[in-house]
Amino acid sequence: MIRHLVHSLPISHVILRVAALFVPHREREEWLAEWRAELWHVWRSCNHQAEVTAFCFGAFQDALWLRGNNKHSVPRRLFRPGSPWRCGLSLAIWAVAGMLICFCLPGARRAMHPLPYRDAGDLVMISRAGYSSEHAPTIRLEEYQAWKTSTRDLFTGLAFYQPMRKRIHVGRYQTADMSVARATSNLFEVLHLPIPVTARDQMNRPYMASLVLSQKVWKKYFHGDAGNAGHIVDIAGQKVRIAGVMAEDSWQLPGQIDAWVFEDEQHMDALPSSTRGYVLAHVKASGLSPHAVARRSMTVFRDTGEADRYDCVSLEQQAQLPFFFFVFTLFLACLALPATTPLPLGEYPVHGDRLPSIMRFRRWFFLAAKVSLIVPIVYFSSLDLAYASLPIDSPAAQGIQFVSSFFGFLFAFRWALQDQRRRCPECLRLLTNPARVGQASRNFLAWNGTELICAVGHGLLHIPEIPTSWFGTQRWFYLDSSWSSLFSDTYLASAGTS
Amino acid sequence: MANEPKLSHTAAMILQAIHAGQVYGFSVMEMTGLPSGTVYPAMRRLERDGLIVSKWEQQSIADAEQRPLRKYYKLTRMGQSALEAIYKRYPLLEKLIPSPEVKRV
Repeated sequence: MIRHLVHSLPISHVILRVAALFVPHREREEWLAEWRAELWHVWRSCNHQAEVTAFCFGAFQDALWLRGNNKHSVPRRLFRPGSPWRCGLSLAIWAVAGMLICFCLPGARRAMHPLPYRDAGDLVMISRAGYSSEHAPTIRLEEYQAWKTSTRDLFTGLAFYQPMRKRIHVGRYQTADMSVARATSNLFEVLHLPIPVTARDQMNRPYMASLVLSQKVWKKYFHGDAGNAGHIVDIAGQKVRIAGVMAEDSWQLPGQIDAWVFEDEQHMDALPSSTRGYVLAHVKASGLSPHAVARRSMTVFRDTGEADRYDCVSLEQQAQLPFFFFVFTLFLACLALPATTPLPLGEYPVHGDRLPSIMRFRRWFFLAAKVSLIVPIVYFSSLDLAYASLPIDSPAAQGIQFVSSFFGFLFAFRWALQDQRRRCPECLRLLTNPARVGQASRNFLAWNGTELICAVGHGLLHIPEIPTSWFGTQRWFYLDSSWSSLFSDTYLASAGTS
Repeated sequence: MANEPKLSHTAAMILQAIHAGQVYGFSVMEMTGLPSGTVYPAMRRLERDGLIVSKWEQQSIADAEQRPLRKYYKLTRMGQSALEAIYKRYPLLEKLIPSPEVKRV
């Protein structure tokens, strides 16, 4: 029954109809009419219906051949080697791919976005002088406790956190080692992050530290179940209550943190005074003015008269460093470009009667398009390279970004100029068939160098081997009509030019 | 000679079949034993190279025989000369698919 249905005439017509979808639109109707007429005869001649079906499946090969050999098809024109569309499309694909990779890599994504904290311009990270780029906590708890009162004229809020590895009991008989930050309860307040709701109703219960989980931990160990809020878990013997989950990408301070344990002041004070951690501060409007300066020094005098120096690094300025590197390396590459390649694009005689004005400017539009695509390509690629595995404040990552961005811009701009010089000014296709012309020994009698030709027949490009006072740069020569017999009409038509 | 298109044995068979009077795609298939997926693309290629030309038959013929309108193929002058050159390359081709004149003999 099914076999009869498969090999029936209506199904054969359906097969032909589906195959017709592969045929270029302008030829489809005629193609389908021919195959249907043939099917009419095949149906009457063949004894086995399977032969009819086999005949119909052959239509796919025919349709695909037509599609593959359709000289008018847009993809064919776009992807022809040397075509400006192919070049532009390749660059656009590269830019989009770089951007997508950037969005997939958490480090690169953070480097692109501004800090998610309100009043980020007023937030500073305090560290011992000279250690601001180190990935280790440098401030002792006793120092933080002393500053709470002594720096009231500078800061409106001070928060302390200490990253450490702890074993958390995430379920019955299940433990996981995580990076836990033990923090003062005002840390999220200073950052202006929403305080977890469940933390508020602890006033009526016996004291228990609050635990905030990262999205990753919440999904991995707690299966993203919102019902876990309020549950009690054990962290290395200490009972803590799950208070909430941190939104993704909200944490952009030093340290890869999986969970935050918030202690009240009383319990923080009970910790050893030598406990080292990070100190975050919210600057007063009349304080350190981090908007203007990325890094300020803070000096604290002890009772003994000795002075301790600290660095106050603006979080916003730190977060803007990747963009600053991008702009700075772009500027540097523009300065260095003339040292690597000549900037002139050659001599192109004006053919006012031959080229419409829009065509004359088209090569400049093409160059501008290439340059404007190179900028995002280098930006995203350097971010991908630098922050794929390293944190945003890592000097190594910043170095990688700086170097890759500078050399990326330099060589990409160099390529854009060189590519532009090797293109026909009319059809913008890459010139082909390089030929050596002349002899080096006769340089003063006749020119010697390389000659390239436009495959469509628009002209010749002469590039001198040794620039002289009478032939200093490459020169373009339009071909007159006597050359037209060398270039077939079909090729001209296929090139999509007049 | 240098401008003569280089044809595969399959294309040569199809060209010879059309020359022998099999002017429809299906009749070429029957004559050569080749599947539709080979015959039709090959005929498109031969047409593109100017060796054969396709035309729709007259509506009156199709109406008289109560069947759909068919497209038929015939050799061009270039196809004729290409076929003559092909006989030298594939001497048994004419025996495999006899030309109309040979049939008469």
